This record gives sequence, C-alpha cells and structure tokens, in this order.
Amino acid sequence: MFEWLSDNRAGFALVILIGLVIAFGWSIRIGIEQTRLRARDEVFGDPERTRGGWYWALCGVSALMLVWFYYSWGMARAVFPKAANELCQVAKIDESLAPITAALSIRSRYLKSTTLVVRNNEQLAALEAAMPVDILGRTEIARMQTIIGQTRQLMVIMSSPDALGGSAIAELADVEGRLLGLSDILNAGSADLVPSAEALAQPKWGTSEVEIPILPMTPRGVMFDRINTELVPIADQFLQIRNLSPEVESLIASTAELLATVKAAPSQQRLDEVAEKQRRDYIKALERIFRRIDDATIFPAASMAGIEQAVETLYGAVSRAKGSLGWIDAVFIPGPGIVKSRTQCTEQGSGRWLPKPSDVVATFSTLANPDIAGGGGYKGTTLLWWKWLPVAKVVGFLIPDVLIDILPGRYGMHGEDGSFQPTYKDRLLAVAQGDVYLGAVPMLDGHIWDSMFRVLVALSLGILLGVPLGIYMGVSRFFKSFFDPMIELYRPVPPLAWAPLILTIFGIQDDGKIFLLFMVAFAIMVISARTGASGTQLSKIRASHSLGATNGQILRHVILPNALPEILTGVRIAIGVCWGTLVAAEMLAGTTGIGFIENVARTVSDYELIWVTILIMGLLGLLFDLAMRWVIGRLIPWRGKG
Amino acid sequence: MNKLTRKPKAIATWLTASLALAAMVAPAKAADSVNVAFFLEWATPNQIAKVDKVYDEAMGVDVNWTNFLTGVQMTEAMLAGDIDIAFSQGLAPFVTAIQQGAPLKMVAIAVVYEANDCFVRNDLGITSANASELEGKTVAVPLNTMADFAFKKYMSALDVDMSTLTIVDQVPADGAVSLADGSVEMACIFGGASASAAGEVGTPIMTAQQKQDAGIFSFDVVSVTEKFAAENPGLLRTFLEVTDEANAAWTGSDAQVRKVAADAGMDFNTTKDMMADFEFPSAAEQLATYFNKDGLAASGAESIGLVFKKPGAWNVDEKIKRVITGEFLE
Repeated sequence: MFEWLSDNRAGFALVILIGLVIAFGWSIRIGIEQTRLRARDEVFGDPERTRGGWYWALCGVSALMLVWFYYSWGMARAVFPKAANELCQVAKIDESLAPITAALSIRSRYLKSTTLVVRNNEQLAALEAAMPVDILGRTEIARMQTIIGQTRQLMVIMSSPDALGGSAIAELADVEGRLLGLSDILNAGSADLVPSAEALAQPKWGTSEVEIPILPMTPRGVMFDRINTELVPIADQFLQIRNLSPEVESLIASTAELLATVKAAPSQQRLDEVAEKQRRDYIKALERIFRRIDDATIFPAASMAGIEQAVETLYGAVSRAKGSLGWIDAVFIPGPGIVKSRTQCTEQGSGRWLPKPSDVVATFSTLANPDIAGGGGYKGTTLLWWKWLPVAKVVGFLIPDVLIDILPGRYGMHGEDGSFQPTYKDRLLAVAQGDVYLGAVPMLDGHIWDSMFRVLVALSLGILLGVPLGIYMGVSRFFKSFFDPMIELYRPVPPLAWAPLILTIFGIQDDGKIFLLFMVAFAIMVISARTGASGTQLSKIRASHSLGATNGQILRHVILPNALPEILTGVRIAIGVCWGTLVAAEMLAGTTGIGFIENVARTVSDYELIWVTILIMGLLGLLFDLAMRWVIGRLIPWRGKG
Repeated sequence: MNKLTRKPKAIATWLTASLALAAMVAPAKAADSVNVAFFLEWATPNQIAKVDKVYDEAMGVDVNWTNFLTGVQMTEAMLAGDIDIAFSQGLAPFVTAIQQGAPLKMVAIAVVYEANDCFVRNDLGITSANASELEGKTVAVPLNTMADFAFKKYMSALDVDMSTLTIVDQVPADGAVSLADGSVEMACIFGGASASAAGEVGTPIMTAQQKQDAGIFSFDVVSVTEKFAAENPGLLRTFLEVTDEANAAWTGSDAQVRKVAADAGMDFNTTKDMMADFEFPSAAEQLATYFNKDGLAASGAESIGLVFKKPGAWNVDEKIKRVITGEFLE
C-alpha cells in the first residue's frame, strides 16, 4: 500500500491541498462569526475566553501546511507535475549559454573584457610603480618597461574595433547569426514535436531518487531541448574565437621573446639571494599578467554588441515560448528554481532544503516500516515496534557479577578430555549475566522508544529527587542555605558543557545520556518546587497550625497542594527542555534514538530525514504536553479560580 | 509618532525589503573576487602561496579564504553561493553531496594520505591476523566520514562480519576517550591529536604496508561549483596552476613548515609530522593516475558512493564519473 501511496503522492497532495484551502477559508469564516457572536458578553482577560476556539487551531494548522506546501514546491508538483521537466530543459539552455553570457554584460554589470582590461591595467600600474630599480641593471629596466608598455599596447589594440582581425569579425558574426537562427526554432512552435519513448519511460518528478527527469517529456520540452543541442557547439565555437590580428600576433610574439630574454639573462648586478629572488618574483609577476592577455580573449566593446543583442533576442524568445511556464516558475517555484548541472536537474532554493509534505510522509513510512530486512527502520533499528525481552536480561542487570565472585569456590576449567564441567559458581554467574532462559515479556523497541525511555527515566528521577528537595528548600533554613549555592552553581551550566565529562565518567551506555537529561530536569524541578513551596500563603499555614496540624500535615495538606501548580508547570518545562537536549545527548555516542538519526542524517545532508526527525520530536513533545495538560486538569482543577 | 512620519518610514521599510529581495534574485556579478574554502589544522604547501598572496596576483582577483570545520559545511556554503572553490574537501562529503544532487565538480586532487586508522585496544590482543575475533564487539566510528569508509574497507579486507558489530557514532575525540575507557573495543579515528590519544591504548588494525597492499587509501579533492567552472574556467586553471607550483616548490624546509604551521594554526612539529605523511601529486601525476580513464579519482569516488549508498539510490557508478574532470589541470 505504501508503494501505491508513494507513486500517487502528487495526486494525493492535490486533494489535500484543496482540502487545506477550503479548511483555511472556512475556519476563518466560522472564527469571525463566533467572535462576533461572543464579542458582547466576554470580558478581556477572562481565561474562559481561551477555551474552545478549535476553528482558529484549524486555521493556524492549515495556514502552516499551506506555507509548507508552497515553499517546498509541493504545490507546484501537485498542480503542475510536468513543469519541472520543462523547466529543466530551459535550465539546460541556461547552462549551455553560460560560457557566452559570462563574457557579456547580460546578467552581470560589465563585459568580461572590460573587467580584464581594468583589472590588468591596475595591476600593471602597480607593478610599474613597484619596480625594484635599485637591483636591476639599466638595460633590464628598459626591457621591463618595454614589456609593460607592450602589454598595455596589446590591450589597447585588442580594445580597438578597427584592429579586430577579419577572421574574428567573421566568427563573431557567425555566432551571432547562429544564435539568431535559434529564435526561429522557438518561434516555429512545438506543435509537431514528439518526446522520445525513452524520455516518456522516465520516472516522474520526485518518484525516484533522481529528482527531476532530464529528458524532455513534453513537446514544449523537446523544443527547448533542441535549442540546447544546437547551442552546445555554438558556445564551443564562441570560446574558440581569439582576437588575433596580425598586429596583435606580432606584438605578442615580440613581448614573449623579450620576456624570455629577461628571464634567461643573468642579472646585471651582483645580487644576494634575497635580491635575486625579488628580481625573479618581479619577472614572474610580469609574466603572469602578460599570460593573462596573450590568450587574446579581450574584445572591443562594440564587437560584443551584436552577440549581446542575439542573446537578448534568444532569451526573449525563450521567455515567450515558455508562456504559462514562466508564471508557474515565478509564482509557484519560489527561490532560484530548477538548475541543471552536469548529470542532473535539481531543485535549488527552498525546494531543496524543505522537502515536500508527501515526500516526508514517504520517508516516514519507510522509517516506520518494522521490516528491517525489507529496507525499513534506520541503521538496523526500527522506529517504534516491539520485541521479546528476556526476563533473564533484567535479572542479570539487577544482580552484580561481583556478588558471585565473592562466593567461595572456583570457576570451572576445561578438563583433560577437553570437556567443561561447570561448577555452581559458573551456573550462578550465568544467571547474574543473564545467560539463562527465564521466559520473556513483550517490550517496546526502536528509536522512538529509546529516546522516550531516556527522557522518561531522566524526568522521573528529576521529579523524584528534585521535588522533595525543592519543597524542603522552601520550608527549611538548613536545606535552603546548604543546597542553594550548589544548585545555583550548576543550574546555569548548559547541559552540553557536561558532555565531555560524561563520556569518561559513564561510558557510552544509556546512563550517561540519562544523566545529562537528569541534570536538566533536576534543576528545573528544584526551582519550581521551591518557588511553589515558599509561595504558600502565610495565612493558610498559620490557620492550619493554630488548628493543631503537625509539621507533616502542614507539608502534605497545605504546602504541597499549594506548590502543585508551580511543580506541574516545572514538569512541563522540564519535558520541553529534555527533548531539546536529547539531540545533544544522543550525539555523545549514538547507536539509537531520534537524535542519533538526525545527527547521522546531517552528515549526508539528507533533509527529508532531518525534517522527519524534527517532526517526530515536535509531535512527541506535543503528545507529552497534552498528557500533562490532562494531568494538570485532574490534579489542580482549582488553579486560577482561587 | 503621528501618521505623517509613520508613512514614509513604512515606505522606506518596504523599499529596503524589496531592494534586499531584488539583491537576492539579481544575477551574480562578474567575478572580481573568488571565495575559497579550506580547513584549519590541515597543512598543505599551497598555504605558502595563500599567505604570500600569489593566488591573488596570479588570478588578478581577490581570493578570500574561509575556514570550515567539515566538508559537509563546505558543500552547503557552495550551494548557497558563498564559496566557489573548496580546497581539500574530503572525498566522502563530496560524494554524498553529488548523491544529494549538488551541482559540484571535482577538478583536482589536493592531498593524498594514508587511510584513517582503526585502533584496537591493546589488551584484546587482536591484530589483522585474528581480526575475526572482533565479531560481537563494539566499535566507535564517525559515521559517513573518510574514517567510516576506511573502517568498512578494513572489515571487508579482513573478512569480519560487520552485522555482528555494534557500531557507535562518535566523533574522533570521543572515540579516543571511549577506547581508553574500555567502552569500545575498537575506535576509528581521524585527526592528529585524537589519533595519538588512541595510539596510547590501541594499535591500528592494519599497518601502513598492509593498507597499501589492500589498496586502502584516502585523498582530499578540490571541488568547485559547476557555475564557477563554466563561467571562469581561466581563473580556475590559474588557481590549480598556482597550487601545482606551490606543491612543486615544497621542499619541507623549516622556514616553509613554519610558514604553513602559522597559517594552519598548528605548532611546528605537528605540522611537520602531518605533512610527512601527506603526498601532493603534481598536475601531471594527477592526470596520469587520477583523472585518466578508469583513474583513481573515479574509482575511489565510486567505491565510496557504493559504501554510503542509500537503499534505492541512483546509480552512483554511472554518474559520478561525469562530475570528475581533469580538464582544468591541463
């Protein structure tokens, strides 16, 4: 069933999407109606006003879901399942045109030639000013100045439209013509184009690991793909064009020769090692600038105008041919959109790091699949399932091995015939180590359970130890003064700060992680119980005292009930903070747990998995909190009504 | 605040917001600076060129170097458009990035080094000769790193059944501590300090010679965004050329090591030891043995891809070759 669901997720997403839009609008209508209805008979600040209001919850949830659908491009995929494939073909054009556009001022501020001329002239000027005249001979200085002058001259000639070589002019015109010719393909339309059978057999957008099918699956896509095929050789041709007039060529040759002479000639003065190196470095710097220019890719600004025009025309034609695709891209695909790289088309922007709700459901169902051999679970552990827990394991956990060690007698040894006769100590040791069968009980298992187990144990310990201590700190001078410095000293320490110590104190088992969470829960419980206890109204304590209550009775019947609201609020906060610390705790030495999944997913940038773990943690936190609200409603119904 | 003053302010806010938006969608301007990612505490000869501004001079643009902690972060920064070239990105993060559909390219090999070691606690008496005794033991591994890759290679070379091992995900520093505490029987480690700590209580499961015989080794790559490679092939070529020159000029002299150590943020001796284990293949060597047909770059990346492959992931072996190119080294 999962397969079927996941193959049709775009369709389901569409249904859900429509449902969400309806829910959003409808809940707002109901909400406004209800608000109007009750506006007269409610007083601002009355807590009763916050009761009910499920329609606003529906409104909030559906708004959140809609935002999610929109920014993850889930809306685009559900409504326009073919758009990505078509946009991929357009992205191919962008990719193939990139070598040409990089030389133009389209999509950047300056021509590449302009940047090169300005940058190289600046550096030549700097180099000229920094010429180490004191270590160079007169001829050398003259030669280097000639090199600098000629390099400048090269740029001057290359920038002049009059000096542009005939072949370069012809080639540029040819490229321009070929680019303009492409617009004709687009203008002719896509009516009689058919996608290939191979293309149609590709998996659809998002149904496989390949995000977006790369071969064109629609007539319009075929048209764009055809442009791309034509563009590749044009771009190659453009990259081959050199601004090499005979003038330029002779100047390059003479400069290169001069450079070689300077490099080969020994220095005219006797130089020490440092100065010699300085001289060599200077020549090298000069050569570098020259070599940037001698590949003759600087063109006169005017000569690029035709190509710019042609590229603009092509872009114009492409965006006209895109038609509705253009506004789908602009409206439904926020961010940089679909980008073609060497081997594939990928979603870039929010579509990349925010997985679609349907994909998250698919990832979750794979995770939740208890059949590990069939690809379910994560790293060999299920998400949440059950298993048989041998009772002997628990027994073995409870009985320390040392207990057997101190009993009289010896452990068995293998006999002369190679057999082994266990003694009574061996048998007891087997029990203490859980190596016997004492029956089994069903037990929860999996990442979620492991995380929950850690949180629950830490929380219970925190409550059991923290609440009594807090209450006594609220009523006793000794407890308050003795424990206050200790608690206040460790409370502000962030839980992660303990992490380096925990590994070496507790090792890699659960106890270290539980301790980390316990530290968090304990401080919160102490503080809240203490605040609750010390906040008890004095008149109530005095009244019960004068009615003859003992200390214990005052504690049980007056202080504890009065502290309960604060304690329960503390529990709620502690639960939240424990979940918050879980990822850090499970980073210590991860083998299982939700935090472990997230930590591993992070190392491979698996955003779907990361979001699934975030959602699971959020939902579990919500579940805990709902349970706590129920407990609070049962335990302290009088809260806020005194 | 009256209405009159409020309105222009609202307009101004709106204007700034839309300007910021426009800046976000505006096309990238021509490269007048190149952003390079690198690792601190990972000494390479080209740091001399970096310190001496040879890159800036040769490329004619400002070269900004940004320090990263992990290769995955380098990938993220490249995707966000903040980094053009990642120098010495680990092969593992590069391959996982490609698997996740990142538009990146491998254009050169930065460093070749011995595969990360897996240390077995000395008191167990387990060596490569009786490695099968590891079965049923606990191993600390930083998952999805080059150390993880090396670990899997060792286990298959030594014929250890990995399904019987309990694998604990620990960063190297923690792994070394757990090994010393006896919480784990084996720890796979990268990084100098952690490796020496683990070496105190453990022995590598395979010697350098055995690793070489089994063909287990690691290398870091120079990766770039496809956009940068397409738009500025000249700059990229010069970058690799300067790197190659710096590697060729490397003699390991004390003055050179000191310079690199200062830039890498390490002390002299650690730097020297680290670099003694490194190899920096020249452009010609890279073209001959790494980027040739069926070269080491593709086969290494492919084998990593197969190790880290998600069930049902796309065909790594077919596609990874196409993002590996030596054309910028020529």
